[in-house]
Amino acid sequence: MIFRIDRRLLQNVDWALLAAAGVIVALSVLSLWGLAWGGGSGIALRQLGWVGVGLGALVVVASLDYRTLVRAAPALYVAGLGLLVTVFILGRTVSGARRWIHVGPLTVQPSELFKLIFVLTLAWALTSRWARPLSRATLAWTVGLAAVPFLLIVRQPDLGTALVLLPVLAAVLVGVGLRLKVLAALGLGAVAATPLAWLALKAYQRERLLVYLDPFRDPLGTAYNVIQAKIAIGSGQLLGKGVSGATQSRLAFLPERHTDFIFAVFAEMWGFVGCLVLLLAYGLLVLRGFEIAAGAREPRGRLVALGVTVLFATQMLINLGMVTGLLPVVGIPLPLMSYGGSSMVVSLMGLGLLLSVRMRQFQ
Amino acid sequence: MEMRAAPGARGEAWSRRVLAMTLIVAAGFVCLVGQLWYLQVLEGARFREMSEKNRIRVRPVAAPRGILYDRHGLALVDNRPAFTVSLIPRDIEDRNSVLARLSILLKVPIAELQEMLARVPEDSLRPVRVRRDLSLEDVARVEEWKLELPGVVVEVEPQRVYPTTTFAAHLLGYVREVSEEQMKQGRYRRGDMIGQVGLERLLDEYLRGRDGGERIEVDALGRPVQVMQREEPRPGAQVVTTVDRRIQEAAERAMAGRSGSVVVMDPRSGDILAMTSSPAFGLDRFAGSLDREAWLTLVKDPAHPLLNRALQSQYAPGSLFKIVVAAAGLQEGSLTPMDRTYCTGQFRLGAWTFKDWMTGGHGHMDLRSALVQSCNVFFYQAGLKVGPDAIARYARAFGLGAPSGIELGGEKPGFVPSPALRRSQGKPWHGGDTVNMSIGQGQVLVTPLQVARMMAAVANGGILWKPRLIQRVERADGTLAYSESSRMTGQVDLSPLVWAFLRDALRGVVSEGTGRGARLPGIEVAGKTGTAQTIANSDSARGQDHAWFASFAPADDPQVVVVVLVERGGKGGQVAAPIAREIYRAIFLEKVAMASTGTDS
Repeated sequence: MIFRIDRRLLQNVDWALLAAAGVIVALSVLSLWGLAWGGGSGIALRQLGWVGVGLGALVVVASLDYRTLVRAAPALYVAGLGLLVTVFILGRTVSGARRWIHVGPLTVQPSELFKLIFVLTLAWALTSRWARPLSRATLAWTVGLAAVPFLLIVRQPDLGTALVLLPVLAAVLVGVGLRLKVLAALGLGAVAATPLAWLALKAYQRERLLVYLDPFRDPLGTAYNVIQAKIAIGSGQLLGKGVSGATQSRLAFLPERHTDFIFAVFAEMWGFVGCLVLLLAYGLLVLRGFEIAAGAREPRGRLVALGVTVLFATQMLINLGMVTGLLPVVGIPLPLMSYGGSSMVVSLMGLGLLLSVRMRQFQ
Repeated sequence: MEMRAAPGARGEAWSRRVLAMTLIVAAGFVCLVGQLWYLQVLEGARFREMSEKNRIRVRPVAAPRGILYDRHGLALVDNRPAFTVSLIPRDIEDRNSVLARLSILLKVPIAELQEMLARVPEDSLRPVRVRRDLSLEDVARVEEWKLELPGVVVEVEPQRVYPTTTFAAHLLGYVREVSEEQMKQGRYRRGDMIGQVGLERLLDEYLRGRDGGERIEVDALGRPVQVMQREEPRPGAQVVTTVDRRIQEAAERAMAGRSGSVVVMDPRSGDILAMTSSPAFGLDRFAGSLDREAWLTLVKDPAHPLLNRALQSQYAPGSLFKIVVAAAGLQEGSLTPMDRTYCTGQFRLGAWTFKDWMTGGHGHMDLRSALVQSCNVFFYQAGLKVGPDAIARYARAFGLGAPSGIELGGEKPGFVPSPALRRSQGKPWHGGDTVNMSIGQGQVLVTPLQVARMMAAVANGGILWKPRLIQRVERADGTLAYSESSRMTGQVDLSPLVWAFLRDALRGVVSEGTGRGARLPGIEVAGKTGTAQTIANSDSARGQDHAWFASFAPADDPQVVVVVLVERGGKGGQVAAPIAREIYRAIFLEKVAMASTGTDS
């Protein structure tokens, strides 16, 4: 039953979505290969390997009925929280934050994985038989479920990932009909609660958060990244400098160039025109996602599709906003582009969820 | 956009909401395209030029560390500008020749420079400080060779400066470059100067301030062309301590050449006015880059100069402890001022003989004269009468055997033995243990700081203060970051008659007894001498006892407590009391001077 893929389902595979994702992934591997141009291409190959793993995961998730996954959400939620707590115990500290755990030769970032569990949990909490949508109890219960992992991720600290969860929560709540007024009140409540969280942080953690919000507090760190990223992007001009001419990226003026700042590499190599192509692919992807959400006829499918799409769009907008200097620097990867196994696999699994909803739209 | 809306009102509402969200995301896309247009098309040429000669460097501007003041506003430490030589790894073209040249100019082993560079990525732009506090000659030599030394920069940074090199060394502590171990905490950056011990460490978060930075454009040789942006450093907070610089200096002067500790406390507030520990170490030696050998010499020095003897060393209190025995006996009723004994110079208990320090004995003794003359035989008997449990109880009430609560790290708790404690270890308590305990020998251990707290309680009628070192911390903008008021952490309940008796006896110690060495014209000192027998490790060390003098003055209105400990100095009355006298002379300078001239005329 679970793995049954009949012809009816295959007819409804969203090829446009897959094509857009394919273009982005190809550009990612190309950029990573370009970065290593003249040196080895190990990182591009490894990324390609992750794409392979991710595609496998995508097929598995797509062939599963998303309703089964929503039913399994409580178990996934508990397991996910377990992983988040494990990070604090076994986690490896990299530049002051504990985000990764070792599994054999690999390092896994549980907060990445939790993003999808988060979406499934919200869909479950708002649609289970006894949860009457929009009652106060349901609302409180949903927000409570969301708050626990949020706080755990903030404590790591991984402010970027935590912030991505908020728009997803807001979008799903609005989706089930929450009035904007109530949402605004919740938002104000959250803002009012921040001083409490602030008190719980250590002085240097506060400092780190302040640097997130105001990079010039740390003129040697993030402010430097931002200016170098701007130079890289701007110097790409209309048509880009090509792989060999992308000195700004290749000569390592650009920090985090394989991961969070990979868009700057791409922009330097392929210029404004290349960026438009990439943005078009992202736009198509997000648009398909919203269409799948709009077209779903059943509440669980709607919420899952909406949550995944908003998750994707938020990550993309925040990352591109920070790399182009529109937003403060919070470290989050660009989905499907940035180098990194956890992010790539989880992004592709997210697309698998979208496909799963789409394929079962007419059942 | 194509919307496959489900039939029915709810479906339409859903589609509408999804459409609204799509539009929000679309607006984000429009912003991004706009920004890319601005960066790549409108400003593209400018950025292209910048990327072609990427000459932007970021240079840290160190924040001046906060200043520590004494209670009257005199600086205990200050900052002065100093020259620092740094390397910018990315700008070094030929690593070997630049390091070799620099190594010769600065007389630093090349291996040390290589080691420093090996810790950071090769293409790092962040300066790696290799030498702090350069002499002017060194600076001139480096500047002379500037063109041959790409990637080497000389900067001016604030640096700690001390009144004298060893002044209040243990109290203030020193500042040193963050160690590899501390780097792992994730809150420091390589090259940060952080407080390592004492107040510098305790208050590091406040004192450090925040470094600023400059974004500068440099030419092909790495020389700055213009400052593009500058973030001013934020200076560290200023700390007002309770220390009195004049008294601290006097105490250090009086202890010159001795090994030991002085604690001066205000019995009315618990304020630490001075705290010394000798031998001390040169604070300024840590500020520059201390080489490994110098550091090892300091750590391995058999005199342990890094140890703060005021709170990190424990000693037998010797006869100081008789104050506790007398207080316990009087309050419990097992001793009275009328008790008399004849001291023959020795005391027998079973098969054991305990000697008095005065061969031949003190003759007729009552409680007051036994305190004044520090008669051991009297206290052997008194201790047996009072009992070890009561003595231990009162000793703990006076704050012995437990940390005083001072924030400086590494405080030792001392030790107060008792039969109950001994039994819990499965060992018996003998009468001889009581005898030893009543003159502060045996297992009893105290720190000079604990003794100061105890004497303050005697002086003020029973209040045990938490020793206070910091009055307040003020941020650079004048706002208060932290303040501390005097805090009572215990009280010794004795009848006023007992306090009066004790104070009168202690007055007698100085005016007519073993503490005469502390007598001063114009100021009446009350105190108690102590000579702590040490276990001799060798024949040559035999007989070198620790000398104690614990005191307060003026006797009728106590304003200061002075505790002196001289390690292996000899008899308390002969060695420690005169040191206390010199400290009192400095504290009550005017009064003493007036009294002296008065007697002259």
